Amino acid sequence: MKKLLLVSLCFLVLCVTQVFAQNRTVTGTVTAKEDGLPIPGATVKVKGTQVGTQTNTAGKFSLSVPSGSTIVISFVGYSTQQVAVGSQSNINVSLVASAGQLGEVVITTSLGIRHTEKELGYATARITAKDLTETNVTNVANGLTAKVSGLAVYSLDNGIDPTIQVQLRGNRSLEGNNNALIVVDGVPIPGGSLSAINPNDIADISILKGAGSAALYGSEASNGAILITTKRGASDGKPTITYGNSLQLEKVSFYPKLQTTYGPYGGEPVSTGYLDAITNYSKYTPYENQEYGPAYDGSIVPLGAPLDSANGTQLMVPYKAYPVSPIKAFFNTGVTEQNDISIQQGDANNSFFFSAQNVYRTTVAPQDKYWKNSFSARGKRTFGIFSIDYSVGYSKINLSTYINNSTASFGIPGSFVTNAGANDLYSSVLQLPAFLNIKAYEDPTSRIANVNNYYDAYAINPYWIINNSRRNAQRDVLLSTVNFKLSPTKWLDASYRISDNFGIDQEKLTRAEADFTPYAINDYYQASNVPSGFKATGKAPGAVYDYYQYGDGSSSFPGYARLQGDAILDFHHTFAKDFKVNVIVGNSIWQERQKAIFTGSNNLLINGFYNINSAAGTVTTAEAEYLIRQISYFGDANVSYKGWLTLDGTFRNEQDSRLAKANRSFNYPSGRISFIPTDAIPGLKDNKILSYAKLYGSLSRVGNIDIDPYQINNVYNVGPGFPFGSLGGYSLSPEQYSPTLKPELTTEFEVGAELQFLNSRISLNTTYYDQKDRNQTVPISISTATGYTQSLTNIGETESKGYEFQLTGQILTQAQNKFGWTVGGNLSINDSKVISLLPGVNELSLGQRNYAIVGQPFPLLKGTDFVRDGQGHVVVDPVTGYPSTDNTKLTNFGRTTPKYNLGLNTTVSYKFVQLTAVAEYRGGNVIYNGIGSTLTFTGATYLSAAAGRQAFVYPNSVIQTSPGVYVKNTNVNVQNGNYGFWQTSAFTSTNSAFVTSGAFWKLREVDLAFNLNQFVKNNKYIKGLTFALTGRNLFMWLPKSNLYTDPEFSDATANSNTRGTNSAAQLPGTRVFGGDLKVTF
Amino acid sequence: MKKYISVIAVLFAVGIAGCKKDYLSQEKNPNQPSVNTPDLALAATLVSDAGTLQGSYPEYGVWGGYWTTSGNYVPNQALNEYQLTTTSNTGVWDALYLNLSNWNTLLNQTKASGSGNYQAIAMIMKAYDFEQLVDNFNDVPYSQAFDPKNLTPAYDKGSDIYVDLGKQLDAAIDLINNSTGGLTPSAADVMFKGDMTKWKRFANTLKLRLAIRTSSNAGSATAFAALKASMTTHLSEGFLVEDAAVQPGYAGVNSTAGVSQESPFYGVYGFDVTGNATFGYQYYRANAYAVKFYLNNNDPRAEAFYAPTDAGGIIQGNIFGDILHNNQNPATSAIGAGLLQDPTQPAIMISGAESAFLVAEALQNGVIASSDDYATPQVAYEAGITLSFEQLGLTDAQAATYYGQAINNVGWASSSNKETAILTQKWAALNGLFNLEAYNEYRRTGIPTLPSSVDPAALSPTLPTRILYPASELSTNSGQLGKEGTISPLTSKIFWAK
Repeated sequence: MKKLLLVSLCFLVLCVTQVFAQNRTVTGTVTAKEDGLPIPGATVKVKGTQVGTQTNTAGKFSLSVPSGSTIVISFVGYSTQQVAVGSQSNINVSLVASAGQLGEVVITTSLGIRHTEKELGYATARITAKDLTETNVTNVANGLTAKVSGLAVYSLDNGIDPTIQVQLRGNRSLEGNNNALIVVDGVPIPGGSLSAINPNDIADISILKGAGSAALYGSEASNGAILITTKRGASDGKPTITYGNSLQLEKVSFYPKLQTTYGPYGGEPVSTGYLDAITNYSKYTPYENQEYGPAYDGSIVPLGAPLDSANGTQLMVPYKAYPVSPIKAFFNTGVTEQNDISIQQGDANNSFFFSAQNVYRTTVAPQDKYWKNSFSARGKRTFGIFSIDYSVGYSKINLSTYINNSTASFGIPGSFVTNAGANDLYSSVLQLPAFLNIKAYEDPTSRIANVNNYYDAYAINPYWIINNSRRNAQRDVLLSTVNFKLSPTKWLDASYRISDNFGIDQEKLTRAEADFTPYAINDYYQASNVPSGFKATGKAPGAVYDYYQYGDGSSSFPGYARLQGDAILDFHHTFAKDFKVNVIVGNSIWQERQKAIFTGSNNLLINGFYNINSAAGTVTTAEAEYLIRQISYFGDANVSYKGWLTLDGTFRNEQDSRLAKANRSFNYPSGRISFIPTDAIPGLKDNKILSYAKLYGSLSRVGNIDIDPYQINNVYNVGPGFPFGSLGGYSLSPEQYSPTLKPELTTEFEVGAELQFLNSRISLNTTYYDQKDRNQTVPISISTATGYTQSLTNIGETESKGYEFQLTGQILTQAQNKFGWTVGGNLSINDSKVISLLPGVNELSLGQRNYAIVGQPFPLLKGTDFVRDGQGHVVVDPVTGYPSTDNTKLTNFGRTTPKYNLGLNTTVSYKFVQLTAVAEYRGGNVIYNGIGSTLTFTGATYLSAAAGRQAFVYPNSVIQTSPGVYVKNTNVNVQNGNYGFWQTSAFTSTNSAFVTSGAFWKLREVDLAFNLNQFVKNNKYIKGLTFALTGRNLFMWLPKSNLYTDPEFSDATANSNTRGTNSAAQLPGTRVFGGDLKVTF
Repeated sequence: MKKYISVIAVLFAVGIAGCKKDYLSQEKNPNQPSVNTPDLALAATLVSDAGTLQGSYPEYGVWGGYWTTSGNYVPNQALNEYQLTTTSNTGVWDALYLNLSNWNTLLNQTKASGSGNYQAIAMIMKAYDFEQLVDNFNDVPYSQAFDPKNLTPAYDKGSDIYVDLGKQLDAAIDLINNSTGGLTPSAADVMFKGDMTKWKRFANTLKLRLAIRTSSNAGSATAFAALKASMTTHLSEGFLVEDAAVQPGYAGVNSTAGVSQESPFYGVYGFDVTGNATFGYQYYRANAYAVKFYLNNNDPRAEAFYAPTDAGGIIQGNIFGDILHNNQNPATSAIGAGLLQDPTQPAIMISGAESAFLVAEALQNGVIASSDDYATPQVAYEAGITLSFEQLGLTDAQAATYYGQAINNVGWASSSNKETAILTQKWAALNGLFNLEAYNEYRRTGIPTLPSSVDPAALSPTLPTRILYPASELSTNSGQLGKEGTISPLTSKIFWAK
């Protein structure tokens, strides 16, 4: 790679002297006719060439044009205008809305090649900078939510460091990567780096929805691609400085439905005195973590054990629920403050853009913090036929968050409870009874809140987790690209691009030591409390884990750093006036690398001193390194006839180091066609009703190498506990690998139409696609009797097909009416199906209750159900009235990914005020609410108190009178309607009790913007001023059955396809609202 | 312009040629080895087997009358009410087959290199693991197991597997006897340090265990005939007269891999590397049934098997399944210091006591005609009790005092039924460390009469007869598993069971 760079540099030196100077510079401003406001991002092109620029935020442009030429000015939603330059040096253009010819819009496609939309034989969508950052998202992915058909953004949790997945057209791969390829300025970047990009640096985003549109990217393209074009400087010669500030608040928007009637009791036996032997009624139990006790009555009761000693103060509190449940009182209001500044300047040959951003964020979890500082510099310089374009972005993220147990990074538990099963933060919070003044426990060193005096014998103070178990991460990410381009003739561009994207993630996880007094260990209530588990040593030692990863700046696997070089030759010529031909050939070489090292110990010697050298016993260490290399050759031939018929074919060969030598080389072809009947057929031209129509189709084959490096040979693992001194031991890894593995192959067929009606005021895009994915690479679970638990195999085939609709309508135009009103909607319907798995195998477990079953959509949720009669009624025991779990089979509850995704958006504008709203619906899926099981355990769930904790007849149940004969149960009550049923019956342990619809409606974005430009028109320094009030996820509507949490949340990790299972590892859902101010100088 | 085009062409050529030939050859895993040596495999698999035996069978400890579950935790429906599911006992299936896979790989590897002693050890330990599989699950894949090309191996009859294991053990002893000049493991053999005589005793004891297990009921009569006949083959090799224990150098620390190096029973049911109680220690409490048995017979082992209560310092057990009336942890006994001696304690695979009781029963019932190790059933019986006392850190004198008492099923002479006495004392010796073996023998003979759960929601008035096949088998090998018919944990029996 280095050698190549060197040659390119030599080449640069040779060429700088060659300057052609026949052009002259034209500057101007593009405004909208309706309101006179500037249009940023409008395309200005020299007619018949690829030469062009875009207007800056003030709507200004500067372009070097040959004399006698014509410039073409276009923008989405506006009619394109052509202006003969003549002798003018300043051209001001005012575009007319709604007569826009979308077909002329230039779209960035694979490898950064730009085509007009007319020429594209596949579905794309474009998101402008304004759409993306309307509500001041801190992560690019959030700005894409609900805006494009076929694109789904999954926020799997909402902590300070959330896991977000971006998917196009649903799932294809059963277990492999289904996430869209992210491409910045023509070069793929590691998925984990997306969060490092400053959303305000983005000029626009093209979404290539399917494999066909991204086929040139080969094995990385099967999941579609998101192409991000970053801002370059404008070319009007004047510097523009923009400053923006936004302040947003974040509050919990959805809590599970809670009971606030009953206080603590948790199954204490009669011998403790908390259970009446005769009546079986439970009594108030001052140290319990479950709420199955008597109803709150306002009496004064002891809480916990006497403080510090058996003769110490006994805390006495009113047995009365607080108006605000402590579960709600625990969470804070988060604040996000963003400061942005950017400077841009440029002229015909040079441009420069610099931006800096500072984000400071806190969230609903106390003490969680996030800081981000990012800087980027981009520019372009042209020397005659040679040009250089560069981009460097650096970001530094610091974050500090509490440690959960179930999601514990690198195995460090967040709490010290080892004997009772450790708690996640949220599950600790869900154990708080309604009469507890939680704020009194905020300082865990205070007398009542410290580990020795905490009232709850079985849980730990959630503030202890907050204060004492922290994950501090620092991420440095550098994204850099330089592109050398040579245009020796009118019909050839040659470019070579080098890009190096990498990040370093450094994390330190610490957990404080907990010291217990003999009194606490002695266990006042003889309840086997938490401290009594530490009788042997009197302390739970502190822990420290240090993690260092070179890769994409995240701590995930895979999270590769990427070094890439692309050489591209671009031939373009128009033959015989009507045939526009564009041929591209290229070579791409890339390498991805990750290296991680960590050390840790759960047994520190000195309280509060977190250094691995201060550990007792042996420390845990690990090291891992991964490398992938790929070489590919590709070509693309595009022929367009009179602009209304375009044929395009691509071909790519690639060789990948992850595969064994014999299977290493693969070919991926694709072809497509686009036809514009409104241009081709004279009778349809200038039609008043149908203003524009495009029909297109594409057929493609791409790959998906879902094999990690080194997964083609079996390996041995270090044996359990080894090495014992000098004695080593290695055992066979339970996962079987094979050198015969091949890439997955996705074949996609796509047809679609783009139609515009009534002078383009209504536009409809519709697409149908059908993808078949063969050679699924799946670590299938195999019978352990084979000697392995899993085998990584190419098996079977899946199909994913669907429809996408995108409808936009301008109901009122502001130019003609005082009010402007547009509405838009997008709908995706995705149907996936498993066509085959292994011969004789009909079902495959994907983990976390997700399955793939032949003939069914995937992934499916399966779990245990109650024993039922033939009609589906739950069969209860004739004596106890309790249901029982059907252990003979797992029931199929439905698919875990939404079948329907609907996005709606509307904009209403009046004078300088504009209101925009985006809403989203997802449905057709189910979710297993693991959090419901936690809530039933704690007794906080509303459902458990719905029958007043009295005995009740299990609804719609039957009793078996003789084998196979069932009668309706009308009179057999559950034996115990309190702890007995909710805790000890099969109800809580049966999955179906907590399976609900996964559907939701969310009001994703609301933005009330005030464009104050007209008020600063005469100001010398201020060129633009806008102010906006924004909100995200303001409201959520759920089906009645879902009492638990935001169904979007899931236990899945970033690269897992399993969904539909949540737990207390995710915090409750939140809403964000605030305001922002942007000033342009 | 041609000049530029040729420069570009050169650029391309350099780009392509710039890559070395092995640029894409990145198959070698820098993180994990792809080869293993017999010694590394031997040590790792023995240690893994010890972990499986000592960490996997708490439910049999509860049903076996030794333990109950703590009243401080949410009741365990699987244990107390017999609501067993296919996910209740998945761990042991996977653990045993993976250990077996390692033995099988070692066997094939050393067969190729002609190391008879390694082969023999692999064959003996295969028999040891397969016996556990059959005792847990009855029919299991055996003849078609460990074939990567056959992902759905058929199930073999438990009785057929038993008979074949007998043959394999004989073959292993023959291999050792015929091994001349072959390699013998030393430090890597963390059980016998390469003492092949002890391996032969281990194999012979295992074979006797198979024979005795099939000796009681009609369902295992055929297997018994074959195994009894084979007992004569190597009778002179003798049986274990001491504990066969794995000791790789257990320690109360973490390994560099972050895994505890504690002796497995100590690590699961005792204390973690920081010295604090594990969940297993808090959760499993003394069973009133066993406590009563030991205390009523003046057995000092009561204080070894169970710890004195925090409140009161007495040995106190809970009644199995009485979740409403049982004592909280501070008033019940935890697992005692005789079982939890030290994190470095060896992990016993077959105890000398069990071997003696097997010989006692075999002599008593004529399964073997004689034994060089124990002359009479009484000698073996009393040796069994003595070895049990020794294992717990008690003295031979204490043992003699104990079995000198004129109490039925304690003193040999005072016992009305010698077989019942042997089985009762065997049960008393297997407490905690050998829950599986204790429960197996109960299922074979019904001796002693163990208490069933008093939980009113219990699905059966009698103890479960077996655990279910794991969910993983149901989803990966359902066709073959389906041929086993409906399995009920309350009525389906292992082929040798009563």
